[in-house]
Amino acid sequence: MKKHKKKIIWAVSVILLLVFVYWWGGSSPGLRGWNPEEPEQKTVETIVKKEVTSKAEVVKPPEEKTKIPEEVPEKTEEVPETPEEIVYEEPAEEPQEDTVCNEPEPVLPEYVEEIPSEVTPPPETVEPSKAEEDTLSYYQNRGMEIDEKTGMDIYNTTAVPEGKPIPIEPQNAVISDRELTCTLSVRCDTVFNNMSWLNPEKVELLPENGVIFAEQTVTFYEGESVFNLLVREMKRNKIHLEFENTPVYNSAYIEGINNLYEFDCGELSGWMYRVNGWFPNYGCSRYQLKEGDCVEWIFTCNLGRDVGGFKAASGE
Amino acid sequence: MNEFKRFHPIVNFIYFLFVIGCSMFFMHPACLIISFSCAFLYSVILKGKKAIKTNLIYMIPIILLTAIINPAFNHEGVNILTYLPGGNPLTLESIIYGFAAALMLVSVFGWFSCYNEVMTSDKFIYLFGRIIPSLSLIISMTLRFVPRFAAQLKTVVAAQKCVGREVSGSVVKRAKNGLSILSVMVTWALENSIETADSMKSRGYGLPGRTAFSIFVFDKRDLKTLLYIVILGVYVLVGNYFGGMYFRYFPSMKGTECSVFSVSVFAAYFLMCIMPVIIEVKEAVKWKSIKSKI
Repeated sequence: MKKHKKKIIWAVSVILLLVFVYWWGGSSPGLRGWNPEEPEQKTVETIVKKEVTSKAEVVKPPEEKTKIPEEVPEKTEEVPETPEEIVYEEPAEEPQEDTVCNEPEPVLPEYVEEIPSEVTPPPETVEPSKAEEDTLSYYQNRGMEIDEKTGMDIYNTTAVPEGKPIPIEPQNAVISDRELTCTLSVRCDTVFNNMSWLNPEKVELLPENGVIFAEQTVTFYEGESVFNLLVREMKRNKIHLEFENTPVYNSAYIEGINNLYEFDCGELSGWMYRVNGWFPNYGCSRYQLKEGDCVEWIFTCNLGRDVGGFKAASGE
Repeated sequence: MNEFKRFHPIVNFIYFLFVIGCSMFFMHPACLIISFSCAFLYSVILKGKKAIKTNLIYMIPIILLTAIINPAFNHEGVNILTYLPGGNPLTLESIIYGFAAALMLVSVFGWFSCYNEVMTSDKFIYLFGRIIPSLSLIISMTLRFVPRFAAQLKTVVAAQKCVGREVSGSVVKRAKNGLSILSVMVTWALENSIETADSMKSRGYGLPGRTAFSIFVFDKRDLKTLLYIVILGVYVLVGNYFGGMYFRYFPSMKGTECSVFSVSVFAAYFLMCIMPVIIEVKEAVKWKSIKSKI
């Protein structure tokens, strides 16, 4: 016993250290303690979504070098949003219905017919016969190939829920000259709920109401992805944006917008995107835009739980 | 001129610990300039005028390389200059941070070159031989390895030259002779390290109760210098803790306002870094005055 005294002391101190580290958890809300907070499906319902109903004028295509719409500052004024006004509603599994982005109809057959054949994405050109269609599931019908063993496609994406568009690989996307419009907004108002976690150097960067890029109608070219649109609009409006290409997911990953980076507000924070009220479970380079889509970039402080996109962020 | 080397090893070691640690963590431009210029000056005093050339030969490429590489990977910052071909922005902050990081790197290199001159392996073993015997032996052997290897290489090349295997002539011949020299060197290095370890073991190195002779005496001068280092070091650390040297590069560059407090912290930092230079100059002046009296 006396011989091994030193070894025992060492082992005990290592175990104590590990226990302490487990208790410490990390630098994120609700991670400290023996029982980390269970994923609450809280959804922030902000006033801004209700108030902003009128859409800004159509922005001219970027090639024409017209000036950026002057309405932007006015728009932010009519948004009387303060952190105190944020209302919690729980439990809300589904994204809130009262967002500006309405749920689109599952399939738009008239729209599909409108597309000229040469720009139709490859998966949709092959229409399976009626008999086949019954046996195949929604995503298989549309050409998404999922490995049965892993339950994911080659870029680690699980099956897309019914009624949602399947990922289109950026290298296969055909970008035409046809100009279409959609709406885009970039917001970080969730940070106001977690100010104690925010990197103190970044406080001065926050816009007063959390709106970095107010919701407005923007032009894109048919076949472009959410990523293409974001990069162009941020460049045009002189808003800082950093991304990184991740080959495993065949998509760009948005690291920071307006110098607000991932992990700046706790270790579970970062940028997420939502199209028509749904957080896609694949990267923004693979989401092909359609006419009238409503794209929102939202900063989450809790892996999507605070904005209702935990499913997409956790990959479950 | 190497008066600081004659101080007690603990004084040398604590000084370098403070200075290298502070150079690594204080990123305020003024701190970087203080640290860099002191390291440069001291290395020139230690190694003579030829050190200016060798310093510049390795410092300039490192500074340029780091300053170019940083903006290629770091795109943070509010001042967007232009956009890189990949689509990410090129920011003013990332370029300046690249320069600052390069200066930091180079000044730490400079301090380490001074450290190698002053802290010889016998001093290191004297300090740590009792507490961590095997680790301190390994560290001192590692630190000694490169200079010893270079010295042995010279000997081997000269010996090979004598038997007609010069490193000159056609490429094939040069490669052949070079490889044989390399093989000799590797064998020598392996054998030598085993020999050293065996020899230390046979003398009972690291065993309890073993005594070691050393001629290091901790005298009044050492005590004064140690107090000087510790007082200034504590003042610098406390001043840094209270934001006296605060500077941030991202997202926009911002530092402390120029107050009496922050200037005093910088002055303390400068006095700490420049200490060995002061000692050397003082000794030189003393020597000259004594000589002139004769």
